[in-house]
Amino acid sequence: MLEHLGEKLILHIPIGGVTIDVDVMTMIMSWVVIVLLVGLAFLLRRGLRQDVEAKPTRVQALLDGLIDLLQKQFTDNFSSERLARELFPFVSTLFLFVLFSNWLSIIPYLQSPTQNLNVTLGFAVLVLVMSQVLAIRAKGVKKHLASYAQPYAFILPLNIVGEFGRTLSHAFRLFGNVFGGAILIAVVTDRFAPVVVPAGLNAFFGLFVGAVQAFVFALLAVAYINVSVEG
Amino acid sequence: MLQDAQQVANGISGADIASLGRYIGAGIAMGLGAIGPGIGEGIAAAHTVDAMARQPEMEGALLRTMVLGQAIAESTGIYSLVVAIVLLFVMK
Repeated sequence: MLEHLGEKLILHIPIGGVTIDVDVMTMIMSWVVIVLLVGLAFLLRRGLRQDVEAKPTRVQALLDGLIDLLQKQFTDNFSSERLARELFPFVSTLFLFVLFSNWLSIIPYLQSPTQNLNVTLGFAVLVLVMSQVLAIRAKGVKKHLASYAQPYAFILPLNIVGEFGRTLSHAFRLFGNVFGGAILIAVVTDRFAPVVVPAGLNAFFGLFVGAVQAFVFALLAVAYINVSVEG
Repeated sequence: MLQDAQQVANGISGADIASLGRYIGAGIAMGLGAIGPGIGEGIAAAHTVDAMARQPEMEGALLRTMVLGQAIAESTGIYSLVVAIVLLFVMK
């Protein structure tokens, strides 16, 4: 039945009068993704050549190609060379984490951590803080605050609400896509076609939509940071 | 006949009507909410194909911009999806 859909295993940890609720499944799955990424990094690093003169190995050629691809997709949208160089690791880390989270959900009994709104909202707030800090560094506090009253002073509340709305929609977009796909797969598997169809749906929602949404998430992070620094 | 209807009506509780409202609301939210993004994303894709046919060398940049624009156009659809999910699974 479908009653288990909204259910979560939640750990309540009381710390000095405050109770911290931990969603166990999301926590475990996040750590699975982290271990996967770090393990992959160490594994692929072993294939790199040590001296510059030697012939590139296969792993190196693969990594060069991948990094090139990411760099071409993300760094073209930054306004300045310096910003692009500084933010490329941050943005590609976001991309890789979200991508592996989304792809994790095609394995049965594993959940994507991005199915939890708290995870995606955490990333979105991270991007918001990043954009504020970088904008203040680029323009100074006074000029950055003044930029919210542009082009007219009475537009100030609109700009402030827009800033938070942007972050909310950033988080909801990823969460809604991944969670909506998961619910659709669960409903179809449970009610209509338990055999072949879920595999195709998993491939579409897990692999294709997962990759597109990870890419969009990182690209929007680039756009938001860029707008803050520029505007 | 009238008595049968009376009996059925007496069997309906407030909770039944509330869940009826939730299901109808979720259907309306999803159905109407999907119209806008569908049209918008279609327009974006159509114009991108136009531009690609005219300038195939711009394909990469066009594709990136299209995906970005479609993602933003999709947010309203995602909002209605979230509302439908809240109606179906969270409000009890």
